[in-house]
Amino acid sequence: MSRRRAGSLGWNVAGLVLFAVMVFPVFWMLSTAFKGNDQIYSVDPVWVPGHPTLSHFRDALHRQYFWTDVKNSVIVVLVTVGIALVLSFFAAVALAKYRFGGRKLFIVLVIGIQMLPQAGLIIPLYVVLGKHGQVNALTGVILVYLTFALPFCVWTLRGFILGIPKDLEEAAMVDGSTRLGAFVRILLPLVAPGLVATSVFAFITSWNEFIFANTLLHSGGKQTITVWLSYLYGGNRFVDWGEIMAASTLISIPVVIFFLLVQRRIAFGLTAGAVRG
Amino acid sequence: MFWHTLERTIIFTVANVGLTMVLGTLIALLLVRVATWVRLLLTVGLVLVWAMPPVVAVQVWSWMTISQNGVVNYVLTQLHLGDFFQHNWYETPTSQLAMVTTLIVWGAIPFVTITVYAALSQVPRELIEAAQIDGARAWRIFKDVTLPVLMPVLLILTSLSIIWDFGAFTQPYLLIGPGQQVPSNYLMSVYLYVEGFGKTDFGRGAAISILMLAIVAVMSVVYVRRMLRVGEAA
Repeated sequence: MSRRRAGSLGWNVAGLVLFAVMVFPVFWMLSTAFKGNDQIYSVDPVWVPGHPTLSHFRDALHRQYFWTDVKNSVIVVLVTVGIALVLSFFAAVALAKYRFGGRKLFIVLVIGIQMLPQAGLIIPLYVVLGKHGQVNALTGVILVYLTFALPFCVWTLRGFILGIPKDLEEAAMVDGSTRLGAFVRILLPLVAPGLVATSVFAFITSWNEFIFANTLLHSGGKQTITVWLSYLYGGNRFVDWGEIMAASTLISIPVVIFFLLVQRRIAFGLTAGAVRG
Repeated sequence: MFWHTLERTIIFTVANVGLTMVLGTLIALLLVRVATWVRLLLTVGLVLVWAMPPVVAVQVWSWMTISQNGVVNYVLTQLHLGDFFQHNWYETPTSQLAMVTTLIVWGAIPFVTITVYAALSQVPRELIEAAQIDGARAWRIFKDVTLPVLMPVLLILTSLSIIWDFGAFTQPYLLIGPGQQVPSNYLMSVYLYVEGFGKTDFGRGAAISILMLAIVAVMSVVYVRRMLRVGEAA
C-alpha cells in the first residue's frame, strides 16, 4: 500500500513538472503582456508583473490596421463558417443516408483533399484567383478557406448523422410526417451539437490561417489579423515585445474560448479530421 | 537543391513525428497514473497549448529564445546546464531547424496526447488485471495488452503527423524569419514558396508543388485507406 502511494506521488510530481514546462510559454506571453518595459528588459527576468500595466494592450489596439484587420478576419471567418455549414450539412446527409453513383470517389476526395499540404497549392490558386481578380480581395481568401473547411465539415457531420438511430426518422414518417418534416423536426435538433462542433473547428482553422492570407492579401488594412501579427516583428528597429505579447494574447482569446467549449468533443470524434496549425 | 531540400525535409519530418508520437504517448500514459486534480490541470494546460494560434506561438518562441535577454538562456544558465549567456539559438541551419522542431513538437503534443488518452480508456480493465494477477511486468502489459488496442489510433496519428510536418510552413517561415530563408535551411514548403513565389518563377514553383503533392499523395494512401474502411463500416 505504502509503496503504491509513493509511486503515485512520483507520477503526480512528474505531471506537475510537465504541466509547468508545457504551459510556460503561455504564462510567459501573459506575464510579458502585463509587465512594464523596465521589467521586460531587466537582466534577471521578472516572473510575475510587479505593477501590472495595460499600456501594451493600449499600444496594440491603437497600432495601425489592428481594428480593420480584426474586422477582415471576422468577415472571412463568419462567411466561411456560414457557407461551409449549410453546404456540408446537405452533403453529409447525402453521404450518410443515400447511395449514389460516385459516392466512393466523393469520399476519397473528401478525405484526400484534407491531406494536401497547403503550401503546394499556393501557386496554382494564386494564378487562378488572379485571373478572376480575386487576389488581394477577401472573397478570394474565403473561396480558398472553403476548399479546406468543406471536406472537414462534411466528414465530421457525416459521423454525427450516422450516430442518429434511423428508427427515429422512420417512426416520424410512419406517423404521417413528410420526409422534409421528419428531417426538420427530428434530424436537425439531434445533429445540432455536431453543427456547433464543426462550425467551431471551421472558425478556429480560418482564424488561425496564415499561408494563404499572407500570400493573397498584400496591402495594409486588407489583411487578416494573423498576417498583421506576423508583421509586428520586422517593421521597426526597436522590437516592442510587450506590445507583441499583448497583441498575441488578444488574438488567442477567441480561439482559447472556443477550444475549451469543444475540447471534450475533439477527444472522441477526432480521428475524423485535421485540426492543427 | 531539390534533393538536398527533400533530404532535409525527410530528416526534419522523422525527427518531429518521432518526438511528437513518443512524447505524446508517454504523457497520455502518465495521465492515466496521476491523481484526478493533476489530470484535470494537465488537460487544461494541454488544451491551452493546443489553442495557441501558430503565428502567436512563433512570436512567443522568438521572444523566449532571443539571445539578448531571452528567458530560455537565463533558465538554462541558472539550472547549471552550461553557459547560455547571450547564446544565439539561430546560428546555424541545424540549430534553426532544431528550434522549429521544438516549436512544432510542443504544439503537436496535445493533439496526440488527448487522442491517445481517449483511446486508452478503450483498453479493457479486466485484461490488465488478469495480466497483473498472472504476474506480468508493466512493460509486458503495455506491449501485449495496451499497445494492440492503441495501434489503429497510433497509426492514424502517425500518418497525419507525417503529412502535416512534411508540409510545415508557418513555423519554419516565420520563426527563422522571412528574410533568413536560404537554400541551406529550406524545407520543402518554404523552398517552393521562396523559389516559386518570392522570385515569381511560377513554372518552377509549380513543378516543385507537383513533386511535393505526389510525395504526400503516396504517404496519404495508408491514412485514406484506413479512413475509407472506417467510413464504409459505419
